[in-house]
Amino acid sequence: MTSKTRIPIQLQINGHLHELEVEPRVTLLDALRDHLGLTGTKKGCDQGQCGACTVHIDGQRVLACLTLAAQAEGRAITSIEGLADGDGTLHAVQAAFLEQDAFQCGYCTPGQILSAVACIREGHAGSDDEIREYMAGNLCRCGAYPHIVAAVRQAALEIASSMETAS
Amino acid sequence: MTVHDVRSRQSDSKRGDSKRGDSKRGDASDGAIFAEAVGGRLSRVDGPAKITGAAKYAVEQQLDGLSHAVLVESTIAAGKVRSIDTAAAQASPGVLLVLTPDNGLRLNTATDWLGTPPPDIPYCPLARDVTFSGQHVAAVVAESFEQAVAAAALVKVAYDETPAIVDLDDPKAGDGIPIDTMTKEWGDAQAAFAAAPVRVCAAYNTPREYQTPMEPHGLIAHWQGDQLTVWEPSQWLDGMARTYAEWFGVPFENVRLVSPYIGGGFGSKAFAYGYGAVAAMAAKMLGRPVKLAVTRPQTFTAYGGRAATRQTVALGADAEGRIQSIVHRGVNETSVDGMWVEPLGSVTSIMYATPNFSSRQNVVRVNTVVPGALRAPGENPSAFGIESAIDELAYEVGIDPLEIRLRNYAEQDPEANKPWSTRQLREAFAAGAEAFGWSKRAPEPRSMRDGNQLIGWGVAAGTYPVRRAYGEAMVRILADGSVEVESSSIDMGQGTYTILAQTAAEVVGVPAENVVVKLGDSRYARAGVTGGSRLAGVMTGAVHKAATAALDQLVGLAISDPNSPFHALQANTLVVANGRIASPRGDGPEVSIAELLGSVGRSQIEAMGDTMPANSTADDRYKNYTTIATALSHTEGDYSRHSWCAHFIEVRVDEDFGTVRVSRVVSALDSGRLYNPKLAESQWKGGIIMGIGQALLEEGIVDRRHGRIVNNNLADYLIATNADIPDIEVISVGIPDPHSSALGGKGVGELGIVGVAPAIANAVFHATGKRVRDLPITLEKLI
Repeated sequence: MTSKTRIPIQLQINGHLHELEVEPRVTLLDALRDHLGLTGTKKGCDQGQCGACTVHIDGQRVLACLTLAAQAEGRAITSIEGLADGDGTLHAVQAAFLEQDAFQCGYCTPGQILSAVACIREGHAGSDDEIREYMAGNLCRCGAYPHIVAAVRQAALEIASSMETAS
Repeated sequence: MTVHDVRSRQSDSKRGDSKRGDSKRGDASDGAIFAEAVGGRLSRVDGPAKITGAAKYAVEQQLDGLSHAVLVESTIAAGKVRSIDTAAAQASPGVLLVLTPDNGLRLNTATDWLGTPPPDIPYCPLARDVTFSGQHVAAVVAESFEQAVAAAALVKVAYDETPAIVDLDDPKAGDGIPIDTMTKEWGDAQAAFAAAPVRVCAAYNTPREYQTPMEPHGLIAHWQGDQLTVWEPSQWLDGMARTYAEWFGVPFENVRLVSPYIGGGFGSKAFAYGYGAVAAMAAKMLGRPVKLAVTRPQTFTAYGGRAATRQTVALGADAEGRIQSIVHRGVNETSVDGMWVEPLGSVTSIMYATPNFSSRQNVVRVNTVVPGALRAPGENPSAFGIESAIDELAYEVGIDPLEIRLRNYAEQDPEANKPWSTRQLREAFAAGAEAFGWSKRAPEPRSMRDGNQLIGWGVAAGTYPVRRAYGEAMVRILADGSVEVESSSIDMGQGTYTILAQTAAEVVGVPAENVVVKLGDSRYARAGVTGGSRLAGVMTGAVHKAATAALDQLVGLAISDPNSPFHALQANTLVVANGRIASPRGDGPEVSIAELLGSVGRSQIEAMGDTMPANSTADDRYKNYTTIATALSHTEGDYSRHSWCAHFIEVRVDEDFGTVRVSRVVSALDSGRLYNPKLAESQWKGGIIMGIGQALLEEGIVDRRHGRIVNNNLADYLIATNADIPDIEVISVGIPDPHSSALGGKGVGELGIVGVAPAIANAVFHATGKRVRDLPITLEKLI
């Protein structure tokens, strides 16, 4: 294949700038997994139905399988690998997932966690029913749903109380 | 003092040490206190890798020179491939190889999972003769995934189509083939049914259902000379390695399967399938690694889901509802050239006491991929039949659905005529009913409501046999005092990493965080299939044995090695706790394991634990780990061994629209002793949630013109979402069962789903007065 079919793009992922050359048709999901080795973002359906590939672009939850890599240029991408602090301290949602056993096989988990972080930030973690509704786009075949709700509830409370402390 | 005593002492010392671990109680029946001992609520040890994205699943390995394969599938359900035009695909950018039935390598047919010797005919993973829609007929390998996808769309296949039998309802399907091994008869069931004062008889159907693990299937195949490495999600590394070895005619030892994490299996990842042969063939032909990721739509036909089933259940009872006869007939679909039997009489024959019983089963060949295992194959649809039927009998007699189950309680296995090893089902009914508030149930259908919502309460029981097998495990005590466990068994979310760490930690006497468990590589100690809820019982037993042997060696060295600080003590034994070795009397020194190994000049201690009979040959072992031919029957010896459960479920049905929502679930389950209640509860709930999806949502829909599954994706094949699931309460009523496993556990993973669908159907009847005998329970069946 000739270089004419590739385009250079720059992706800002988890605070780091990555330069790569990809075909224009490469999705953000495949760019992360196959071109950059960031395999924490999962491919569950590749057609926008399961939520396993959820990442944040400029703080919003986005399905990486329905986003071309080129569309994400110049925007801030956060994947599961970038969620913990630089020193390895887990994000409150990650810690709550572990404590509540909110996963089994772990394959939907990065997407669930990224969705949960956004769900809390969006203000949609006010009740268990609201959490269920706003987390319904992330499928989990192991059936960890009640524990996911518990983890989101716990993390939302922790985040709210740490914000109060900070202010 | 024996090693067993050493362990008890160590547990005692742990109880006095408040610094150690989480002090939440485990399951009350097992007596464990600390999280990291067996029975404790230790969080998943593989959890940190999974929540940070560090856990690398099989097809996520980054290899130099990796090429990408994409499958082309048949678009007809029956006929022949007349020709395949590959010219455009060949000319497409980046294409390395277009595989068709005409240009591949000659492969051998492999031994099946039962160990049946294969016929001496070639195995063709790309079909010339098409027997189902979605069959692999070609594959394209290219430098990039995008190039392979584009080129695969250019492959032109011409067919000579013949009429297909699309499903069980097809007029051409016929009655099928009787499976004599499924026949179970005692007494005179037909006559007793005819003579019974109360009779119910109805047909119960379940549709095609799919495993849909969140991680799609796929693999990376890499040949180095005649050595093949396969990174593939697997529930059975040794079984799949054997299949690859036999396909390609290389020794078993030449094939390495690697599967460190598995993104869900539910029965679907135990075998090597045709796409695996295609990828390994392409890798061999190209001399470079090939990745083949089965697409989500392709997962509906690249291997089989649960077969569609049909059952008729006839119950004859006396006026008090005591069952006099059960007559059961079942049918499941299978493929044109493969055989899958979904044992539909498996729960029917053991759940209730009856003096007269008859169960028979046929299989019907239709144009589908050969069906496969999906969580509790057999028991799941079987329970839908019998647990719906007994509910119907309760209304016919006019007694409470819980009472009729107690009235017909089987005090021993009515089929095997043996006592149960343990059966805490009566306790499950009692505990579940109490927590649910069953006594407040108004008996009449349509008698409970909340506004325009009809409320229904249903109950059903479930069971799953204890499948036992032999296992092995390697345990090493390393120079730094840490412990390493190795096994080619796997963790697909059940918690294998965690419970094996707990087992080794408890036996050797170290904190669980000092145990590293390595799984999912066929180079490690061998393991049989992870399926049928057998792994935890098999592997905790093997690790317990290996760790005990390693501890024996450690204590032996400490007592007898001239350079040991304990040598002068002349002790009979020593205790190891929290990674430190001391005299049980408290005299003499106390040193860490690392210090002891340093002083006696040992870099490690190593012990293999093996639960196979002592006189087993190498062939016996090979057979044990690569087939299921040596599995032990659950009724072998003096007992019949099963796990049990009772589900109490509330539904709310919109009176105008017929929509059903599950609003409350309380389930009480007997899985014997729980090795880690936190993780067992998660698996139980997962099974219950899959059962809610099965009851209300899941159905593979066949296009009757083309025999195609039209909803072959996750937006159209509906599985339960978070918004479909209420809080679920699970209660453990198990007690240790020494006849079922070394450490007293029974099966966990399959049990939870069994009985959920009938409990929901029974609740829907209570809410609406309408009996739905055809899953899933969708709104058009209620309005």
